[in-house]
Amino acid sequence: MLAELINPYYLQVLSFILINIILGVSIYITLSTGQLSLGHAGFMGIGAYASAILTLDYHMPLVVGIVVGAILAGIVGLCIGIPTLRLQGVYLAIATLGFGEVIRVLFINLEGLTKGAVGISSIPHIGRELVKGLQDFGFKASMIGLKNNQLISLSVFLLLLIITLLIIAFFIRQTNSRVGRAFAAIKMDERAAEAMGVNITYYKVLAFAQGAMVAGFAGALFAHVTAYISPADFSYHRAVEILIFAIFGGSEVIWGPIFGAAFLTAMPEILREVNEYRYMIYGVLLVVMMAFRPQGLIDTQMIYKLKQRRKKKGVS
Amino acid sequence: MVLEVRGITKRFGGIQALTDVTFQVGKGEVFGLIGPNGAGKTTMFNIITSMFPPTMGEVIFMGKKLTGLKPHEVTEAGVCRTFQNIRLFPEMTVLENVTVGQHCRTKSGVWSSVFRTGAQKQEEKSIREKALELLRLVGLEELQDTFADNLAYGQQRRLEIARALASDPKLLLLDEPAAGMNESETKDLFDLIQNIKKLGITVLLIEHDMPLVMRICDRLIVLNFGKEIAQGTPEEIKNNPEVIEAYLGREEEEDLA
Amino acid sequence: MILEQLINGITLGSIYAIVALGYTLVFGVLDILNMAHGEIFMFGAFMGVLVTNTLKLPLIVAFLVAIGVTAILGFLLETLALRPLRGKKGVSHLAPLISTIGVSIFLENLAHHFFGAGNHPFRTSFSEMSFQIGTVTVYAVQIVIFVIAVLLMVGLSFWLSKTKAGKALRACAESLEAASILGVNTKKMITTTVIIASVMGGIAGVLVGMAFNSVSPQMGLSMGLKGLAIIILGGMGNVKGAMAGGLILGLAETLVVVFGESGYRDAIAFALIIIILLVRPQGLFGKASEARR
Repeated sequence: MLAELINPYYLQVLSFILINIILGVSIYITLSTGQLSLGHAGFMGIGAYASAILTLDYHMPLVVGIVVGAILAGIVGLCIGIPTLRLQGVYLAIATLGFGEVIRVLFINLEGLTKGAVGISSIPHIGRELVKGLQDFGFKASMIGLKNNQLISLSVFLLLLIITLLIIAFFIRQTNSRVGRAFAAIKMDERAAEAMGVNITYYKVLAFAQGAMVAGFAGALFAHVTAYISPADFSYHRAVEILIFAIFGGSEVIWGPIFGAAFLTAMPEILREVNEYRYMIYGVLLVVMMAFRPQGLIDTQMIYKLKQRRKKKGVS
Repeated sequence: MVLEVRGITKRFGGIQALTDVTFQVGKGEVFGLIGPNGAGKTTMFNIITSMFPPTMGEVIFMGKKLTGLKPHEVTEAGVCRTFQNIRLFPEMTVLENVTVGQHCRTKSGVWSSVFRTGAQKQEEKSIREKALELLRLVGLEELQDTFADNLAYGQQRRLEIARALASDPKLLLLDEPAAGMNESETKDLFDLIQNIKKLGITVLLIEHDMPLVMRICDRLIVLNFGKEIAQGTPEEIKNNPEVIEAYLGREEEEDLA
Repeated sequence: MILEQLINGITLGSIYAIVALGYTLVFGVLDILNMAHGEIFMFGAFMGVLVTNTLKLPLIVAFLVAIGVTAILGFLLETLALRPLRGKKGVSHLAPLISTIGVSIFLENLAHHFFGAGNHPFRTSFSEMSFQIGTVTVYAVQIVIFVIAVLLMVGLSFWLSKTKAGKALRACAESLEAASILGVNTKKMITTTVIIASVMGGIAGVLVGMAFNSVSPQMGLSMGLKGLAIIILGGMGNVKGAMAGGLILGLAETLVVVFGESGYRDAIAFALIIIILLVRPQGLFGKASEARR
């Protein structure tokens, strides 16, 4: 019964949705201080390549690879975030776009390390490693009536689900704190924020590095879920795709990019015909959103009204 | 002295916005900064709060040099301001706006916020209580959950004052707080400034509403084209021929225009 | 050898300069970075392929078709993606950037759909024609490209400085509001600007097709980034800076190839963007007073 319900393909789609949700959160963090980054594909790539190389060439455990990948992306984010602080809006976007392309060109050209344009294959798979671990404890897929590949997909999905929920919880708490209020103040009016005693340098760099780190983390997970990465995975298209999660879903509250990532990743799976035109639709969406609802589908007012309604219900 | 402004000169390209302006503000004073439009009053505020550096001169606050500090460090030192063209955080609620004002007096970071440590919870509670207290002071308590953007003009001005007070300033800079207010709102503002004074906070005030300025200020400086033309008590200023000319001259120009 | 590379560099640089001029015009008047410019350029290149290869018509027709199609694209860009954002309350200054990114990704994938992902050869009747000057080989294509590029630049400079429309355009670049008070029809001027910029991109597209004998949907992005690098190098909205910047980038890229690091050719532009933004944000020829805040 359970065995029939668990379809590895659907689980894989769900896993990709979760990774994209993490990416959506990563751009949300950066945007929540009003900084537009087009370099998140680059940070994602750094995480992915670092973890793939560490686990494959240096036989590090997966956990180490993924954590180091995320931290490395965060450090690079710090290095990019500090000097680009003095750039405003459009210029920051262009500089990060340049950064993303430099990273991609490096991936292509550092062949000794990255295998060039061909990409790295047979990267250790999270699911297989997990199932192997379980087997060492004497647990087998057949014990709960599953086939091995079902258990692999299921374990990947469950692990990603837990990670994603933890990340979301982390940033919801951060948003509802002194740090989150500082972010929001900077986004709404940088000058006023600094006049009210907010150290804008610190918080902007913090947000940028956090965003880079989360993107790198998602990249590392991506590498170990697909088991294959190439420079093309981290191109301008990816950067725009990450951005559109936030633009479509909304960048004012964390639920916006989460919804955007989930909806836009699921859509081509539900409507097969759409997949072919996916990027064209993305393009049209960006234009339409800017013209009619620049803050995205889910915005502060909407969440506020929902909260008010819930409050009223609680009273009556 | 709470504030000493020493020989401040500011040039923007070829324009001389301020020329060698010097004044001192004593503890607990309400000190007025007046003059026609373009006299350099807001520029002076921007220099005191280190929004930009002066070309020459320095600002000393309670023995500490403010010039060269970053704006948030000036706020930490105990100087906070409001803006002439209201700069609230529009998509935050009234209450949230005031909590941001307390930023530099609180210290929870990323980890304590995410793990909700006891200290952080305690701090959040006290932030909220203090914000409500300040909203009570400016009379916006009932509107705490309204978005700042949806407030009436006069209410926005009062919220800006509450937000600035949240940073526990020893010196409060008010940039035209009465602008756009009607008579009863101006009267409320008068009472509010009196109350702020009672809290022991020194006030530096830019204002065009002369009756208000003359009633509330202990001393004044008058600027015209970036230069000091007079300094003294309201009585002395009222009878200063140069001040009268500066203001009358302005009125004539306005008549012509 | 070096002399030949120098000629290659100048040819390349003059094309880059034309692409950059398109960016500069739009930025100068509207303060908008048109991220779709590279893709409009790419459509120009494909029109060239379509006319000369598929329809076997002469090169001049290719230019005319490219001009026509990119003019229409420019018009659509302005009316559909830019105008709806103008003067709207509460729209962030990032909105036009994001909107044109949308157009760019749409056009790239549209081209992908129509023409396929691969490279298309671009043959002209004289693509193999060359002659020797001493030891140096010069291709006729290079001369044609250079002449057209110079004509375009001179023409644009003349138009901007001498004609009434050009003066109105410069007034708009100073201040849209002031220009409209002075009786300039700013709506029409803006549309004209975007169309002229797009057409310059289209012409550059045909020229690049001729120079590299290869056209693909991805070329828009890489050329777009190079154009951005150039205007950042030359100073935003600065016409002469765009020309000089184009030549500098063209020569720099050719030199990198000469030294055998061709894999990093494209990275020069991106690295330039970052370095210049950090070291000298007003550009090499920009005024220092231009604050980036």
